[in-house]
Amino acid sequence: MLHYAKIWAASARYSITRTLMFRGDFFVWSLVELFWMAVNILTITVIYEHTQSIAGWTKYQMVLLVGTSMLIQRFLMGFFWSSIFEMGRNIRSGNFDFYLAQPGNVMFMATTRKLDPDSLLNSLVAAAVVIYAVHQLGLEPSAGQIALYALMVLCGVVIHYSILVLSISLAFWLTSAQGIEGLYFTLTEFSRLPRAAFTGIATQMLFVWLLPVVMVTNVPASLLVQGFDLTLSAWLFGSALVWFAAAVFVFNRGLRRYTSASS
Amino acid sequence: MFATFDKYRQVFLTGLQSNIVYRFNFAVRGFFSLFHLAAVVILWSAASLGGSGGLGGFSLGQTITYFVTLLILQFFISAFNEDYQISEEIRNGLINQFLLKPINYFAYRFSIFVAARLVSGLVVIVPLLIALPVLREYLDFPHDYRVLLFGLPAMAMSAVIQFSIAYCFGLLSFWFLEIQGFVILSMALETLLGGQMFPLDLLPEWAYAIARCLPFYYQMYFPAAIFTGRLTDPTLIFQGYGIQAAWVIALLLVNQLLWSRGLRRHTAVGG
Repeated sequence: MLHYAKIWAASARYSITRTLMFRGDFFVWSLVELFWMAVNILTITVIYEHTQSIAGWTKYQMVLLVGTSMLIQRFLMGFFWSSIFEMGRNIRSGNFDFYLAQPGNVMFMATTRKLDPDSLLNSLVAAAVVIYAVHQLGLEPSAGQIALYALMVLCGVVIHYSILVLSISLAFWLTSAQGIEGLYFTLTEFSRLPRAAFTGIATQMLFVWLLPVVMVTNVPASLLVQGFDLTLSAWLFGSALVWFAAAVFVFNRGLRRYTSASS
Repeated sequence: MFATFDKYRQVFLTGLQSNIVYRFNFAVRGFFSLFHLAAVVILWSAASLGGSGGLGGFSLGQTITYFVTLLILQFFISAFNEDYQISEEIRNGLINQFLLKPINYFAYRFSIFVAARLVSGLVVIVPLLIALPVLREYLDFPHDYRVLLFGLPAMAMSAVIQFSIAYCFGLLSFWFLEIQGFVILSMALETLLGGQMFPLDLLPEWAYAIARCLPFYYQMYFPAAIFTGRLTDPTLIFQGYGIQAAWVIALLLVNQLLWSRGLRRHTAVGG
């Protein structure tokens, strides 16, 4: 465990040094994420000029939901996105060999290599949005509730991470996993919607239960708004475990197929 | 004159062929868009139920129709990766060959753009037709042929604006190594002010008035609003044409400026 913490710290140091080298880039990308978050918040503000509630959620409850979605996404982007995304390309090009030679679990090494400090910085903004919404709603969450919220957000990050690793691992079979990121962003659109808005059976099955993108944000947000629900929280925790196990399984299966690419 | 036209007609035809190769990519993209439409339907249905039945004076059907129109327009007129292609050509030195030939790079690129959008626009109809049984109950287009008459010129100018902005970003490669940051930054602005998150007429009046002066409004929202009957007053439409034409000219001038300035900095490497 300590061994992995050391490796991770070395990657983090490397990423931060890199960021310091390309300060302009860091600035532009921080701004990009900030802009996109603003777009989502502004959209909610505009919609609520014309309606009182969306599937029973008031304006600031929606802000809380979207803030939670942003928080999970920022964490995923900050800690894993670049590495996972590059993994697909490396599998195709054969550069993935490099990770096989490293002293540690291949999945860990390949998915934690690069941090994005701009996303991590913006996760503070996302957290501020959540806190602002909580304040506007007049909620006073207990320490236990906050801890549970953090745990649920963590489960959300694990689920997103697993879905992403799973999809990119398809590159072991298909050699090309292009377009997967587009699909991921499309799916996150659903994570900004309240669960009760999914009235059709097909959409409910697909997005709420089968692909837990909706639950990932709804469970932590409801936890603050409506209080703790054991069944839902346990369900999210359980699906985080299941998805993670599936990701590990598929990744390792794929790894066996990896034949490297000659050059 | 005719020879010039023929030159770019050939470029267009070649562009058509090379883009037909990507028909499956466009189709897949179209299918992804159906997910986006599903999210749109879910969100706006819930919003319309939570209000007094309408959304800024328009029914739920009209609102969904707006988003479907936007999707179709996107595949017919919006720039996909033209900015990156241009950037690549500049960085790889492929652009050098155009400097030696009697070809206007803008016109060359624009011809390919038109060909590419023709292909992607026709391809996106397939996923939409497949979704039609579900979508049908939401669709509510105005029954007035004049919307087409008014909408098509706006759509044509929008295409020029879309391409010109992408071209501008591509040319920034003369100065910057990476343009991705700029592109995504402007995409956020376009998404919001081009009306892709919500119909712009839902904005508070003062904000709408500002949006009407910006180029983003004329990138997508303007033709979409005419086609879906959100913008019907002829005076406003003609005013819109005026502002849109002004933006077209302004962007073309900026392109010209960037091109001549950029070439001065350009060192032909490779090629």
